[in-house]
Amino acid sequence: MSGPGASSSAAARAAADTAFREEWGRIVAALIRRTGDWDLAEECASEAFAQALDSWPRDGTPARPGAWLTTVASHRALDRLRRARRGGELLETIGRDPLGPLHDEEEDRAMGELLEEPDEIEDDRLRLIFTCCHPALALEARVALTLRALAGLTTAEIAHAFLVSESTMTRRLTRAKSKIARAGIPYRVPPAHLLPERTAGVLAVLWLLFNEGYSASAGEQLVRAQLCEEAIRLTRALVTLMPDEPEASGLLALMLLQHSRRHARVDQHGDLVTLEDQDRGRWDAGEIAEGLAVLGAALRHRAAGPYQLQAAIAACHAEAPDPEATDWEQIAALYEVLGTVMDTPVVHLNRAVAVAMAGDADAGLEIVERLDRGGELAQYHLLYATRADLLRRRGDREGARDAYGRALELAGTEPERRFLTRRLAELGTDR
Amino acid sequence: MKYLLMICAGEDREASTPRMGIDQWVEESDRAGTRLLGRPLDPPETAATVRVRGGETLLSDGPFAEAKEYVAGFDIVDCADLDEAIELAANHPVAAFGAVEVRPFFGEFDFPDAAREWARTEPSESWALFMCLDGIPATDEEEAAIRAGSIAWGERLTERGTMIVGQPLAHADTATCVRVDGGETLLSDGPFVEAKEFIGGFAILQGVTRQEAIGLAAEHPLAAYHRVEVRAFEDA
Repeated sequence: MSGPGASSSAAARAAADTAFREEWGRIVAALIRRTGDWDLAEECASEAFAQALDSWPRDGTPARPGAWLTTVASHRALDRLRRARRGGELLETIGRDPLGPLHDEEEDRAMGELLEEPDEIEDDRLRLIFTCCHPALALEARVALTLRALAGLTTAEIAHAFLVSESTMTRRLTRAKSKIARAGIPYRVPPAHLLPERTAGVLAVLWLLFNEGYSASAGEQLVRAQLCEEAIRLTRALVTLMPDEPEASGLLALMLLQHSRRHARVDQHGDLVTLEDQDRGRWDAGEIAEGLAVLGAALRHRAAGPYQLQAAIAACHAEAPDPEATDWEQIAALYEVLGTVMDTPVVHLNRAVAVAMAGDADAGLEIVERLDRGGELAQYHLLYATRADLLRRRGDREGARDAYGRALELAGTEPERRFLTRRLAELGTDR
Repeated sequence: MKYLLMICAGEDREASTPRMGIDQWVEESDRAGTRLLGRPLDPPETAATVRVRGGETLLSDGPFAEAKEYVAGFDIVDCADLDEAIELAANHPVAAFGAVEVRPFFGEFDFPDAAREWARTEPSESWALFMCLDGIPATDEEEAAIRAGSIAWGERLTERGTMIVGQPLAHADTATCVRVDGGETLLSDGPFVEAKEFIGGFAILQGVTRQEAIGLAAEHPLAAYHRVEVRAFEDA
């Protein structure tokens, strides 16, 4: 049966959904600062959203959903702390150890302040980001904690996205939270002398999160696509919180420009389509426009780092209406600079492609051969796929065939293997 | 918050330039009031490992784990938080070629005056005891008995002036290893040696012979389940 009631309750549910995405991190962050208890913060936030799902369809969506949720979550936290205190007093009166120090009126007042939405709340979210991404935590724990505490994914969802059991993920999260509490990892935005290094660490976690979703190296693309959207959302929040950090904006631009190609990069069979062969009409024009605008603003700070440079390269592709119009010289030049700030073999491999595409295939191949001799990419299928492609373009079919064969042996996902097999078949046989 | 910095040497790692010398590190951290106590140890070859099984004390020479890395010294520091402890560890010259493990203690404790005194003087007849846990599960009752027994052991030795300081460490899961490479601080989660065994507590004894220290180690309740390593201090 559907009537006005049903549609308004659907609207209320949608409002709760939106509020969840927008408010979860804020509420958890504020409760952690007030109580120092991560589990309590997450549980109270969960309960507030459950209550919203229950009462909003019935009573209507409040005018300020965020404030409503914050109030409910804070009351829950306060209730629990009071109950714990009573429990502590009770134990004391019967001669056992109290559960912990007693909470006094001051604490009540502090909790009460939460209800008044202090300006601190935005800073709280930044504190939470930096704490989740603290380098003394294992990288996988940083990623999981960021998804749980900031993005509000459930432990089951995170476990699913990272293809581990729920109990493994629970242990990982519990251990990380316990280390934060017991090893004295501070809940704060790092001081100035630590900030550049720690900011880079936060960006690395967000970028890893995005790539987990984008490359889906272990298959299961559908569940992992959500990771891309969470990464973009979190990075967008970080840019709002750190407007003067051009690398954060650079990362957001990079994600948006990559993400704009998501529908064109695989065909209806789930096979990979190269940039050259992608239907550019299927690129997301809105994301490209936003990515370019964000990048433009970042570059005005005149402090180009690795993310801005990679975004600038992605922008060169995004701005070309067709593959022939790609400014490969500009891309090769950008890779050259990127290679100085991010001296990794993969960057040099991409530079090799750009140099070759800009017209100097021999110089491109020379870079590939040098990387091959270096040995660091010996297990990386794209080294051989790149060599194969450059040899193919030069008309060396035999050499290309060998290299495709090697790439095929190393490729990780089915679509990648199908792509390489197709390329290999296109070379035909001249035997 | 108090942390134990375990200075770990013997790693197969090329030295990058130390940020400053050990003397300078000690001087600066003493001046900042962050370092409470600390000394280098004799090489692990001179260590004795004490176990008690079936009421019998089993003694073996050398360190508890056959690892390339070993604890070459330690410092107790008092820092605002882990970030401050990490900075202190990263400034230690050994971080540039070995590693410094930063481990919180299990719970807060008052740093004893006797330890302040000991830190100021040349140690003689002093020994470091490391409680090395090897993950053998004990029942809850046994764990409770070990805890009570450890506290009684500590109180007894403190009373007669033998134990300078002794405190259990937080679980190895709370450890952070600090290394410095080319000026960059690299952190890793967990203790410095990837092994089943890890250091779960430590104590400093003074005014007893090596034999007596070994005897006292055997009286520690953990010796009946795990092992206690008795280490000599350098130049002691």
